[in-house]
Amino acid sequence: MSQDLVSFAIEQAQTKGSEYAEARYQKTFDLACLLRNGVPEPATMVDAEGIGVRIIFEGALAFGATNQLSRENISALIERLVSNAKGASRILKEKIHFSSEEAHVAKWSAEEQKKVEDVSLESMISLLKDIDSTLNGSIADVTFPNRMLVAGYEVDEKYYANTDGSKLESRVPRVYYQNILVAMYEGKPRTVSIPPGFATLGGSGGWEIIDNLNLPERIPRSAKQITTAVKATDKAPADESLDVILGPGVSALTSHESCGHPGEADRILGREGAQAGESFLKPEKLGMEIGSSEAMVSDDPTIPHSMGFYMYDDEGVKATKRRLITNGKFTEFLQNRATAEFFGIKSNGSSRTVQFDREPIIRMANTFIEPGDWSFEEMLREIRRGVYIRSFMEWNIDDKRLNQRYVGLEAFMIENGEVKNPVKDPVLEITTPKYWGSIDARAKDLEFVCATCGKGDPMQGAPVFTGGPHIRLRDVRVGSR
Amino acid sequence: MTLVSSKETGPAQLEGLAELALAEGKNLGCSDVSIIGEITNNSQVRFSNNTITLVNNVQEITLEVYLAKDKKRIVGATYNPSEEGVKKFVNNLLASCLSLPENEDYTPLPPGPFAYRGTGNFDTKVQDAEIVEFTGEAIDQALKAGANRVSGSLNTSSSELLIRTSAGAAGKDHVSMMLLNVRAFADDNASGHGLSCSSYVSDFTPGKAGYTAGEFAKKSLNPKLIDEGTYDVVFSPTVVANILPMADEASAFAIESGTSVLIDKLEERVGVQIFSLDSYGSYSHGLGGRVFDDEGNPTKDTAVIQNGTFRNMLHNCTTARKFGAQSTGNAGIIVPHPFTVVFEKGEISLDNMIRDTKQGVYVTNNWYTRYQNYRTGEYSTVPRDAAFKIEDGELKEPIAGFRISDSIPRQLSNIEFISTERNWIKWWEVETPTLAPAMMISDVRITRAVGS
Repeated sequence: MSQDLVSFAIEQAQTKGSEYAEARYQKTFDLACLLRNGVPEPATMVDAEGIGVRIIFEGALAFGATNQLSRENISALIERLVSNAKGASRILKEKIHFSSEEAHVAKWSAEEQKKVEDVSLESMISLLKDIDSTLNGSIADVTFPNRMLVAGYEVDEKYYANTDGSKLESRVPRVYYQNILVAMYEGKPRTVSIPPGFATLGGSGGWEIIDNLNLPERIPRSAKQITTAVKATDKAPADESLDVILGPGVSALTSHESCGHPGEADRILGREGAQAGESFLKPEKLGMEIGSSEAMVSDDPTIPHSMGFYMYDDEGVKATKRRLITNGKFTEFLQNRATAEFFGIKSNGSSRTVQFDREPIIRMANTFIEPGDWSFEEMLREIRRGVYIRSFMEWNIDDKRLNQRYVGLEAFMIENGEVKNPVKDPVLEITTPKYWGSIDARAKDLEFVCATCGKGDPMQGAPVFTGGPHIRLRDVRVGSR
Repeated sequence: MTLVSSKETGPAQLEGLAELALAEGKNLGCSDVSIIGEITNNSQVRFSNNTITLVNNVQEITLEVYLAKDKKRIVGATYNPSEEGVKKFVNNLLASCLSLPENEDYTPLPPGPFAYRGTGNFDTKVQDAEIVEFTGEAIDQALKAGANRVSGSLNTSSSELLIRTSAGAAGKDHVSMMLLNVRAFADDNASGHGLSCSSYVSDFTPGKAGYTAGEFAKKSLNPKLIDEGTYDVVFSPTVVANILPMADEASAFAIESGTSVLIDKLEERVGVQIFSLDSYGSYSHGLGGRVFDDEGNPTKDTAVIQNGTFRNMLHNCTTARKFGAQSTGNAGIIVPHPFTVVFEKGEISLDNMIRDTKQGVYVTNNWYTRYQNYRTGEYSTVPRDAAFKIEDGELKEPIAGFRISDSIPRQLSNIEFISTERNWIKWWEVETPTLAPAMMISDVRITRAVGS
């Protein structure tokens, strides 16, 4: 029935004179459970289902959605969109056009072994209790008196069609685990997460992803590592220029915040100006030098089992790997069909939406710093005095993506090529050109974590991977909180 | 031009679906069933570079369903408004619920019926508001004030809500909102921000918001960097609403989870004597709000911080039982939360506040507030749009490229002035409708990035 309604919506929009139309049936099912201090809270289930339609009519772009799935309601929705677009077109200063793209007919899905629908809440709670039991005690003299553990899955199913002839059917299950803990040492509380930085573990696929993470062993091991941060009392160097090694979790976030976001073409053209902000990049800045030759960043939606996995975007464009920064130069922006038309190129398939009632907008998928050929030990050996920021908690960046800050959680002094004492809350507050210009080495050890990227109005939290290896920055200022 | 929105979906359909879900839950043997039904009609105009980039209309019927059986609990939401879909959802919800262990915190829903305070902030005219024209007015005024580019979004929403519970609660609510978020640019490094947030068309002032944004943009041309250090900072209402989230901190869930700065502080002094903050269900002629909470209790007005002393947590029935208190009508089935936040006003005008600050900084907007430690409230946030140095009690040169790095407890103890003027705030960085004043907080730490 949903496919018929999607086709019906396209026909209706064409009949009414739309220059372009696309319709998307989307069903997003989410089931999650929360264990708090060892006690299960009520589980949550969200079943969102409906049809979103977007048209271009007289140069105006209109989006609308309904969850009343009948021909009558779809017809009424199209009437509204056409009428709204007509009204807007009267005062439109710039007509919207989409790039011409190849039509695709395909059925695709994320690879899945253990179907998520077969996983009961009972087994999720059981898993969380197993993990919780490893944290409910003292680990290296640190206790975790408050523990919030979450596990769950989402199934995102779509049928998409547009007036170009694309017909795409997809299914992407995603699984996830996250936690927030209060760590206590000598009466001093500190909120932490595993992974640090409020990141999530998981990916797209079946529950085997969670099984393979072996969380009841992994989480306490990570908790033990974090105890060094919880116990740290030595202040980080204050306003001193030195060398820094960033752990994979930190470098991963920098790729997202200070390369992926500023490279979104809709921001570059000002479309997100009042919300997510704009960019220090301008259309003519493609090719600009932003950093050293070691600055290498990509975004790839086609990575199997990644949180941001997809084969076709929500404008029907085939997904490809994007080389965002190559040898220190911006070489590609993230494009949708409207921005691609402006740039006179083809879209690179970056348009996504998280639910049927949201418009597709440009999103990152899995953004990462490409791995290099160094080992961590080789990087370390060449540092006389520095700081190793293995993980972080606090971070932010200005809305042009020029002025960023990462505050370390697990962090250590480096002296004469060796990791020394832990230091508390070192602050890396640095401009984007200085950051990318200071990288002189990338390790081989690329790691990914899951994150939710916020953008859009209304807000859309998109599932992504962020990735990176250990990287070394030369001669940067580190401060103290 | 009015954005066309469908009106054929009536309250009768919503009521029928809610009754159906309630009956299904009860027939399946649930001890507790709570249904909140909502019809929403949201329209939006998005604009950037002085032109409209999208017109948007989304109409939905949703049901939020809470079930408890044998002390097992689950909460869900369905967007399938067919009878068959609702029945199926309730059955699926219960099947999942029964695979959970018993919940030792189980507390029955409060016995009704309840008398609710009419309906909330609602204006029938909002649904038919001329939002394309309002958008044009905001853009024109921003340009007139000195901007050369204007971006933003104008959103209207009209909602009909109802509640039915197995404990006898039954009620209705209507809520409307008009939200304009406008950002004006005089050049790439000079921007200003304006908001107009209202439940009533008559209170909506898009031209004023646009003009404010444009004026700030013009005044922000050629901003300078500022030295790191501690400053007396005047924060606009928009910033205050974001950096002092004390009603959220007062949620019993946050306190029990150990993630609040207010843990173990009940009846203790947490801020200066001039600082008071309340949680309202529905503030008369205010913005948004609710007359009932998710458990069916009538929402209430609760003093959270009174003259600097932490007076009340925000509770649902479950947290209230655990803390030996009464529900404050702030359910969330899992997390009690405010529906409306009201900072009490101060005794000084914003102009006089700036005059009396003498040397300092004025911050009009911010974003990206993130915490290093929730428990201690250590955070940083990034000012955006217009900011100025204050010298000799006057706004002087525009500044940019800095960051506020501070902690909530320290700020609460260093509030020097609170303005008489208050604005309704709801936008990207402030989710709960909040009536906020400007504030001057002393000795705020300012940092900035290094590098060209």
